[in-house]
This record gives sequence, C-alpha cells and structure tokens, in this order.
Amino acid sequence: MKNYLIVLFLSFSVFSFGQDVEFKAANFKDDKEGFKKAKEQMELGTEQWHLGNAEVFVVKSPELFYMKALEHFEKAYAFNPNSAELNFKIGVCHIHSTHKVKALPYFKEAYKRNALVDPFINYYMGLVHQLEGDFNKALTFYTTFETEYRKADDFGKFVKQRKSECKSGLKLVGTPIRAWVDHVPELSSEFDDYAPSVSMDGEEIILTSNRPNGHTPNEVGVYDDDIYSASLIDGVWQKPAKLKGKINTEGNDVSNNLSYNGTKMLMSKENAQGNSDIYESELRGDTWSDPISFSRDINFKSNERFASYNFNDRAIYFAKDKPGGKNGYDIMVSGVKVKRDRSYGLPTQILDVSSQFNDGPIYMHPNGKIMYFASEGFNSMGGYDIFYAKKIKGGGWTKPVNMGAPINTPYDDYFFAATANGKFAYIASNRAGGKGGFDIYKATFWGDEKSPSFATEDYLLASVAKPIQDPELVGEVKVTSMAELTVFKGKTLDAITKKAVKAIIEITDNNKGEIVESFTTNSATGKFLISLKSGGNYGIAVKADGYLFHSENFDIPQGSAYNLVNKKIELKNIKIGSKIALRNVFFDTGKSNIRSESNTELDRLVQLLKDVPSLKIELSGHTDNTGSAQNNIKLSQDRAAAAVAYLKSKGIAANRLTAKGHGSDKPIDTNATASGRQNNRRTEFEITGN
Amino acid sequence: MKKFTFTLLLAVIGCSGFSQIEELTPEEKFYRDSITHLNESNAAIEASQLAYNEGVELFKQNNFKAAVGKFTSSISNDPKFTPAYYNKAVAQNSMEDYKGAIKTLDELLTIKANYAKAFFQRARAYQGIGDYLNAETDYEKVIELKPKYDKAYYNYGTLKFMQKDYFAAVTQFSKVIMLKPDDAYAYNDRGSCYRMLEKYGEAVKDYEEAARKNPNLAFVLNNIGTTKTKLKMYVEALAAFNRALSVDTEFFLAYNNRGVTHMRMERIDDAVNDFTKALEINPSYAPAYSNRSGAYFKKGDYEKAKQDADKALQLNPELADAYVNRGNAKEMLRDLDGACEDWSKARQLGSELAKQYHSGNCSN
Repeated sequence: MKNYLIVLFLSFSVFSFGQDVEFKAANFKDDKEGFKKAKEQMELGTEQWHLGNAEVFVVKSPELFYMKALEHFEKAYAFNPNSAELNFKIGVCHIHSTHKVKALPYFKEAYKRNALVDPFINYYMGLVHQLEGDFNKALTFYTTFETEYRKADDFGKFVKQRKSECKSGLKLVGTPIRAWVDHVPELSSEFDDYAPSVSMDGEEIILTSNRPNGHTPNEVGVYDDDIYSASLIDGVWQKPAKLKGKINTEGNDVSNNLSYNGTKMLMSKENAQGNSDIYESELRGDTWSDPISFSRDINFKSNERFASYNFNDRAIYFAKDKPGGKNGYDIMVSGVKVKRDRSYGLPTQILDVSSQFNDGPIYMHPNGKIMYFASEGFNSMGGYDIFYAKKIKGGGWTKPVNMGAPINTPYDDYFFAATANGKFAYIASNRAGGKGGFDIYKATFWGDEKSPSFATEDYLLASVAKPIQDPELVGEVKVTSMAELTVFKGKTLDAITKKAVKAIIEITDNNKGEIVESFTTNSATGKFLISLKSGGNYGIAVKADGYLFHSENFDIPQGSAYNLVNKKIELKNIKIGSKIALRNVFFDTGKSNIRSESNTELDRLVQLLKDVPSLKIELSGHTDNTGSAQNNIKLSQDRAAAAVAYLKSKGIAANRLTAKGHGSDKPIDTNATASGRQNNRRTEFEITGN
Repeated sequence: MKKFTFTLLLAVIGCSGFSQIEELTPEEKFYRDSITHLNESNAAIEASQLAYNEGVELFKQNNFKAAVGKFTSSISNDPKFTPAYYNKAVAQNSMEDYKGAIKTLDELLTIKANYAKAFFQRARAYQGIGDYLNAETDYEKVIELKPKYDKAYYNYGTLKFMQKDYFAAVTQFSKVIMLKPDDAYAYNDRGSCYRMLEKYGEAVKDYEEAARKNPNLAFVLNNIGTTKTKLKMYVEALAAFNRALSVDTEFFLAYNNRGVTHMRMERIDDAVNDFTKALEINPSYAPAYSNRSGAYFKKGDYEKAKQDADKALQLNPELADAYVNRGNAKEMLRDLDGACEDWSKARQLGSELAKQYHSGNCSN
C-alpha cells in the first residue's frame, strides 16, 4: 500500500507538474523496445532538423527539412510527449512552416517542462509571445536570449530583427489602420492557399493552393501548388477550380499577378534545374496557354518569383534570390527590350525596398506610382508584413511604410491584390483563426474617417421664405338699403267735365312729414308720371286754378306686384255748397288735439283761404256710428273747433270760419264696414260763401 | 300657384282706388321698366354689400374659405364692386389658393387697372406658385404706382433672395431699411443675403442691428449663432444661441444648431443633449435625429447612429444628411451594400459628401 502511494505520488509529480521526461533508457525501463524505436525516430528527426536550422541561418527555406524531421518527431512524440527537447524541436519545425500557429503549444510545453531545454528556447518563447501579440513579454525573452547567446554567428541579426518587430508591433497594433480584415472561408482550405490576384472589378480571383489535386504528393505528403480561379457571385466566392489548360503541372505552379485587363498572368514555377523561374500565360477564351519562360536576363541561375506587371507594360518587377546571398529574396525591376520575345534588360535591384530578409511578393498599383510588397524586414511586426512605397519623381522609391494592423500581424501576411477603387484587397496570411496554413483574407479599407453630415436650420428670412402678407382687407361698407320704387302715374281731370286740368301736385311722405315731390301735370292731358318709394304712406294735395283744393291719403305697398299705381284725380270747381273731406287731418284716438302731421293739409286750406279771400267755410267734424251719439257729437264738434282754431292761428279771420260737429249724422259711406267707417270718420269743410 | 293667385287678388284690390287697368304708352312702359330695373339693381347692390360685410367678418375669424364664398357672392350680385374682388383675392392668398387669387386679381385689374395693392396681392400669388417672373413684374408695377410701399420692396427682396440673386435682394432690403429704419426684419434678411454671399462679417453686423432693433427675435439671435459658427467663433456662437433660448425656451432650432456648434467644438455629449432637447420640444424634427445620428457616429455608437438616422428618414424620406449619416453607420456595421444604397440616395438628393463617399467606396 505504501509503495502504491509512492508510485502514485511520482506519477502525479511527472504529469501534473510538467517534469521533463528525457529520451533516456532509465525513463522507459518498462518498454525498452518502444524506447529504442522512439529514440531512433528522435535521432532521424534531429538530423533533418539540423539541416533545417542551417537553412534558417542563410535565410533560405528550411521547410522541407523540418517537415521531414516532423515526420520522425511525431512518431517519437507518440511514445513520449513529455520530453521538453522533443516539444521544442517540434515547435521549431512548425514555426518555420506555413502552420506557425501549431508551434505555440509545443514551445510552451517545452518551456514548462524545462526552461533550459535548448539555448534557443528563450528566442522561440519570444517568438511565441510575439505571435500572440504580447510584444513586451516577447522582448523580455529576446533580451534574455541575447544576453545568454554567445555564439559569433549571424543569428544576432534575427534577434535584432525580432526585437525590432516587437517594437514595431507595439506601435502598429496600438494605432490600427482604418480597415477590416476578414477570413474568406470559400477560398481557403486547411492547406496553403495564397497568391491571390483579383480582377479590377473584384469579381474574379486567381489563387494558388497546395490542396489535394490528384497529383502525387511529395515525400512528406504535401501536394504541389496549382493555380485556381473563382468567381464572386452575389457577394459570395464560389469554390475555386483549377485553371483550364496545361498551366498546372505536377510541379509547383504559383500565380503571381494578373495583368490589369485580366488576359495575362505572371507566374512562377520550377525549371528543369529545380530553380524557380518566372513565366507568362495568356488567357485564350476560358483556357490559359502553356506558360512561357522569360529570357535569361530575368530567369538566370537563381530563383525568381512573385512577379508583377508594371502599369504601362514596359517592365516587370519580381523577387530574386541571388546565389550566395544572405538576404533572401530582393526586389528587382527589369525593363522590356523586345516585348514579343519577352526580352527584358538586366534586372536591377530596387534598394529602397530590399531588406536583409526576404522581400516580395510585389503588386504594382495600376497608377504605376505605388508599389505594394511583402517583406520580412523593415519594420515588420513579425514574419512577412505588407508594405507600400511611393515612386519618387526623378527616381527611386520612398521609405517603405508598413500597412499596419489589422492588415499585418506577427504571422506572415503577404500578397496584396486590390480592386480598382482600392476599397478592397485580398491578401494571404497564416495568422491564427484560419482553416490552416495560409488562407485568403479580404481587407476592406474604410478610407479617411468619414464625417457625419450635420445640418443647421435657420429662419434666414424673417418671413420664413414666404412673402409677407398684407392681409388688410378693404373694410366693411355701410349697406345702402335702397328702397324699392313704385311708378305712380295719374291724371288730373275736371270732376264734372272729365277734361284734363293742369294742376299743381305736392306729394308728402307722411312718415317723414316731408314734401317728396312737387310738380305740375300736363296741361293738355292732365297726366303725370313719377316714382315713389314703396312701403310708405303719402299725402297728395292737388291745386288747380278755379278748382277746389284736392287732398288724398294713400299707401304705396312694398313689393314688386305694386310697381305701378295709377291715379285719376277729379278736381271740383269752387262752388258754394261744395264739401271737401280733409283726409290728412289726424287726431289722437278719442281726442281733439290735432296731430302735427296734419299741418301740411291744414296749411293748404290756410293757403286756399288766403288765395281766395272771399271764401267762407264751415269746418265740420264727422264720426262713424260707434260709441254714443252724444259723445260723437261732442268729439266731432271739438275736432272741428280745433281745426278752426288752427286756421285762426294762421291768420284766417274768424268771421270766415264756422265749426260744426255732426257726430255720425252725416255719413258718406256705410257704417257696416271698416273701410266705410273709416271714410265716415273725417274732417270736412263746406264752402258757405264766396 | 296659390301664392301667385293671392298676389294677383291683392293687386286687383289694391288698384280699386288707384286703377291700374289703363294701358301704358310706350314711354310709360319704358319708364316703368327702368324703375323696375333700378329696383332690381338696388336690391343686388344691397345683397352684394351684405355678403361683402359677412365675408369681412369671416375673414377676421380666419375662415378664409367661407369668406371667399361670401366675396364671390358679393361679386356676382355687383360685378363692379371692386373691394369684393380685392378681399376675395386676399382671402385666397391667405388660404394659399394662389391660382384662384391670380384669377380674381386679373378680373379686378381689368376693372381697376392701376390698383397698386391688387398688383401686390397678385405678385404674392405668383410668388406662391413659384412664377417668379410674373411676381417680379407685378412687384415692379406696385413700386411704380406706389413708390413708398415698403412691403413691396420687402417681398421683392424676398423673391430675389429665393432666386439666389442676393445682390439684388440686398438692394431691395436696403430700400425697406431706408423707408422703415427700424425694421428688424429687413436688417435680418439683408444679413441673410450677405451670409449667402459668404460675407459673414457684414451678415453678423446686420443681424446684430436687427437684434438691437428688436431684442426679442429669437430667430435673429439664432442666425447670429449659426453665422458665428461658420466663422468658427464658437464661444460667441454659443452665447448667441443661449440668448435665443432665453427669449424662446421652446426654440428647437436653436437647440439643434447649438448642438451642431458643440459638434464643431468636439463636445459630443453636449451636442447629443442639445439634439435630444430639440426632439423633446419637436419630436417630428427630422434634422435633429439626423444630427444626433452623426453625433453617435462620432462616439462610435453605430447602432444608435443608425437608429436615429432611421427615425429621421421615417419623418423625412428626402433628408440627404440622414442618408449620409445612416450610410456611415451602416458601413461601420459591416453593411457596405446598405451604406452604398444610402450614399447613392443622398447623392441623388444633392449631397456632396455622399458623392465623395459613394464614389470612393462603392464603385469597383
């Protein structure tokens, strides 16, 4: 029981606290055979691993060696995953592959188990933190490594570069550019998908992938690169398909750049000597022609790749790996000599954009003034970053500018293919979060910061952009109620002879007590024709020489039916015994005082008495037969006396006047009707002397 | 029929004393007919005047439609009664029936050819339907007939302003100022002409004179604020807006405009508060939603920016600024297609900013 507890404790120590389980026989006494095989794999892997390391020092591609090493290491790892050394070595293999992200857990495991596992562990732990964006921690590891590393080789330049990258990373990540970078899953696979080149309209893309293609994979199971295309339909990229034609071979065929009109393509592939050369293929219909190599001036003994057309087709830019060089690929330009022969002049290195590390791929902006290129040097924040440089008038290029985060990461970010408007670009990156290896990413640039549109609003015009009103109306008017007129025609005749008599007529508006008309009738016909306001009560007084004064009271009714009133006036000669009723003499009911509207009529009588001084009259009052006879006699007597008194007051001698009240004794009409009674109620005078 | 019989009977009875049986001579008939006509004419004039007075009363009650009806009745009773035409036209202008007013005034001016106020009203009506050419002709006629009629100069100035002939507008408003030196409106409007001519110094001078003539005109103080904002005199602009708001606490335009000044001063939270205040006073004021959308955009709150622009566009689907701001927000919300649609619409509506954004982001 005690032993069991000790074993349990040991096991717990080994596996829980991350002890380094070295590839020593003593550690695997129970499985000596297994250990032997694993140890052998460890050694075989280490052999390749060292070859890979050597390539790293000279900035060459160590990948194949590491892949081979990895095959062995993985077998050893299956036997013993707890070796710090093995974890470290596997980490190194991955970190130099296109699947860098795979390295991170191995390095962390190695460091955890044994922080002194390898002189380079601090360097690679720096790299782990750099890739994770923890630049400060990375710098600490690099500094530690730098302090401890004493070998007088060229590796110092890598550390220096890494530290520089971290410093760049701190700046660049702290000030990201205005862009989004999105993974494009439709164009990506768990293999390497890279070298995108997009048509100017952004709807066709060419890319390279080492996804399984039906060819025979290499010794480490990796397929060769082929070139694919895909179309953007309704905003979605369709599945990439191999280019038609013989452009894809069993070797690596790598797309570089499409021409701006999309009819030609620069690509790189290995020649018979195993070097990478630049080729060109043309699109004929939907098929790409067999690639044709460029002249020896471009494709020399070295490796050439990642070529780009120039905007005017007068040169090509490409990356060249000079034999014996230690700075990896550099960017070159070569001018055209004879275009149809693809004959170009000797390439010249563009020093402004060449670093001590690998430079290229290159993408020349269609305006010919901007070069986008990838580089592991300059102020990269790690691995390849994408830069741009502007052409300087008079020659040369500006200092490369890192495109910044999020376009670049501490991983490898390269290739740059923009749409014509510069809004979008496609890049390749092996950053964390993809499907595996290099994947295709789409950058969307926001452009300059957009300003919101703000609107102020004013009443610029006091009248708020409308004319002022002048709503002063013309005011109310006094309604001129013009009374209706009635035509009043008539004739003055001798009462006895019926002959026309020329007479003077006065018409009085009894409502107002005003004479409204005064005229003389026609001497020949006795006719008259006037208009009077309708709806009034009028008095008419007619005088004619030798005739008794004539007076009447009448109404002109309202209404158009009465637009004509005809009147025949018969005049009486002034003879003794003639009796004339004064129809326009009025008294208050039951009283004998003369009302003022009677004055006009009485004044005419005054005038008649003055006109005819010999005239003597008896003024008589008459009533109808209503009431007592005694009262009627008295009232009529009083009224007659009142009329005499009026005449006297106007200067008529008393001896010419007598007053007589007759009551109802002398009716001139029936008392049976109202109108008859009205006629009977009258003041009358009789000529008693002349 | 019954009534007619009764009337006839009355006539017969009525004529028993005053016979009407006798035949009339042609002269008498003519005389009678002329009197009949006179009676009818007088009745019509009376009816016209009564309707006219009723129209005046209805106009005073702002019942323009009914007033027009009464004036029309007045005219039909007495087609020579020119005040009825004039008042009808004024009522038609007041109810923005400009075509009707023009027709009425055409008739009036046929009867009374040199009626200056009728020309003034017709100019107004032409202005109302956007027939500036005829409006100008009429204002010129008014000025010719009545050279001291300041309202004619004022409206003529307004007309010139609306046609963007700011120099001519300045001339007209200057005449108003000459005739009415205390006319704050004329100073304000002349200031606005200068502002449109980008003579901001002179504009401010006139606005400030208007404010001296009448310190209680909030819109004048607001104009001072917006003009000083253009001059980047933000502190003074804020002071002017504050004065405007002290005169009229419900003047939502001043809140909105002060918000824009805050934005220029990068006081985004203050701006948001002002736009919000403007919306509390007038929840239908689309520009404040649009502006607040812009403020939220600057704060990086793109969802709110989009929501406010949406509201602005619900209220006013032709508000270019709101499309620009919604486009900006949509872009940041990763809806570039939507952003391009909005910028395109704003571009169609005349936004230069949208043109720039659309061409820079939406073409291939």
